[in-house]
Parts: sequence; C-alpha cells; structure tokens
Amino acid sequence: MTPLYATLVGIAMGFFIQRVRASSPGMIVRNLRLENLSVIKFMALTMAVGMILVYGLSLVVPSLLHWDIKPTYVLGVLLGGLVFGVGFGVGGYCPGTSVVGIGEGRKDAMVAVAGGLVGALVFTVVYSVLIAPIVKVMDFGKITLADVTHQSPIVVALVVGALFLVVIKLLPTEVKQTT
Amino acid sequence: MSFSASGATAASKHRFAPWAFYGVLFGILGALSILAWGPIGVSGTYPRFIGEILGAVAPGYAESNAYIQKVGHLFSKGETFVVIGLLVGGFLGARLNREKAPACEMIHPSEKTPARRYRDAFIGGFLIVFGARIAGGCTSGHIISGITQLSVSGFIFAAGVFATGIFTAKTLKGRHLATGA
Repeated sequence: MTPLYATLVGIAMGFFIQRVRASSPGMIVRNLRLENLSVIKFMALTMAVGMILVYGLSLVVPSLLHWDIKPTYVLGVLLGGLVFGVGFGVGGYCPGTSVVGIGEGRKDAMVAVAGGLVGALVFTVVYSVLIAPIVKVMDFGKITLADVTHQSPIVVALVVGALFLVVIKLLPTEVKQTT
Repeated sequence: MSFSASGATAASKHRFAPWAFYGVLFGILGALSILAWGPIGVSGTYPRFIGEILGAVAPGYAESNAYIQKVGHLFSKGETFVVIGLLVGGFLGARLNREKAPACEMIHPSEKTPARRYRDAFIGGFLIVFGARIAGGCTSGHIISGITQLSVSGFIFAAGVFATGIFTAKTLKGRHLATGA
C-alpha cells in the first residue's frame, strides 16, 4: 500500500505547495530576503501542527507510527545545510518545489531539476573519496530534542509547538520595506 | 456564509490566509504520512534516479559505487511516489484555480535574460541536491519531517539553510543596487 499512500500524500503536498506559492522561486527569494514571510510561516505552522499531532498520536497508538529520525552528524548536517542555503538563495527552488514547478509548467524548474540530477551524479561519484570521511564527524546518532533535554517527548512537542505558534502570530506576513 | 460549513475553499478564501489554511492541512498530512508509511522526503530520489540510469548504462560501476548501493532502488522507496505525486499536485493546483505560472520567473536583479535565469536555476538545483545529500535530507526530510519529529538534525540543517539562504538572497539583491544598474 505504500506506493498508493505515498502518491496521494505527494499529490496533496504538491497542491498545498502550489497554493501557497512556495513553488514560485520569486516568492521563495522574497521570503529569504525577509520581505514576505508567508512561506516561512507556512512551514513553521506545518511543523507545529505536525509535531503536536504526531506526539499526541504516540500516546494513543504508539505501535502504528513509522518514525524515521535522521542521524545528527553535526559537521555534515551543518555543512550540507550551508551549501543547500546558497543554492536555495541562487535558484529559489528546493528539491521538492522544483518538481511542483514542473507540474505547473515552469521551464526554469525543469532546469533546476536537471541541475539537481547533475548534482546527485557528481555527489555519487565523489561520495566515497570526499564525503564519507568528513560527514560522519561528531555523529550523535538518531537523537531528538526530548533525548537531549531528558524531558517527556509530548511535553517537548507541546512547548516547541506553542513556541512556533507564538512566533508565527508575532511575525508579520508582509514586511514593510523602508528602502 | 458567515459560519463554517460552506466548505474548505470558502474558508481559505475568506477567513484564513492561504499559508495558515494550508499550513494546518500540511501538518495533518505529515502526521498521517507517518501513520501510513513514514515521514515525507524528496531529495534521496535524485541519487536513486541517477543510480537507475547508471545501473542501465554502466552496471559494473553502479554495483561498485557505495552511495548507489546505500540509497537503494528507485521504486523500493515511498519517496519516489511522493515525487510523482508532487508533479501531479502542482499541475492540479495551477489548473483547478486557472493559474498560469510563468515559464521563466526572474528572481534576482542580475537575471536580465532567460539565459541568466536558467543559469541560476541550474546552479541552484545542483547545490540544493548536493547539499541535501551531504546532510542526508532536504527541506522536506530534514526540516518539515525532521523538526516535526523533533530531530536535532532538522534544527541544525534548518539553521544552516536559513543562514546562507538569507545571506545569498539579500546579497544578490544588494549587489545590483550597489552597482546602480
């Protein structure tokens, strides 16, 4: 059933991304310049709702959840994030939003996916020599904020979720530009 | 019309901003996904696709390549179907709302010709996938799904992304203003 569920999730996700204009590279860059925060608030709200729901579900039906916590190898995760951010700022696309953009008929999204495939090819070729030795530095394994703070996961989810909601409420969506 | 039941579309148009309405829906979707099969992710699909191509044109190399072996086969993963869905979802979102996305959207002052825009899209596409693969996930897997699960790696990745993302986007705008073009 996974292919069916995953396809349906993808269709809904692509629809949501298109509706909030996150598949528009111009909108992404306006968010990164902090001129408009709608996509950032969309992401933060998604995470707040998701974490409260999923940790809530873990109290009720813990055996039904398919967790997949990614390992925290600090150097590689941070380095990868920094490289990703430059690409995000230059092109205005993520690996997922570019695919949504192709669905909308954007040609620059096709070029971004082509760039991504070349990036994946180069990564595959240099992985053993360049990447594998450095990325595993400071690997703390599959840890969550609950593990680090030694608190109950649902409490951490509620606190972090509430914090996100407060920040979302306080931040403007359209930021006034003075210049 | 004033209360509820006139439907989701009416609610999204009149009572909530799209980011708020779809943010709540996406949060529910993420939780349902973890319930149904696993957290949403995207970027691993790129090297899996490359792995399939290399497997067809250079099977010996594909078998000896540690990363291709590590990411596994394209259709063995739910993620691949998410990506197929994204394509359909983007199409439906635009079509059902009669929106026509620009074929080539200029986003920086320096993008004065489509060729410059395509160059930036290509470089950007290269770096997001290369960076995501160093980190082991992208905006979907690390940030949305990672932080939803309270994974420490998601917070670290997000901090890196927004540090250079904000810097790069502001610099590419500012440089143009500085040269007065």
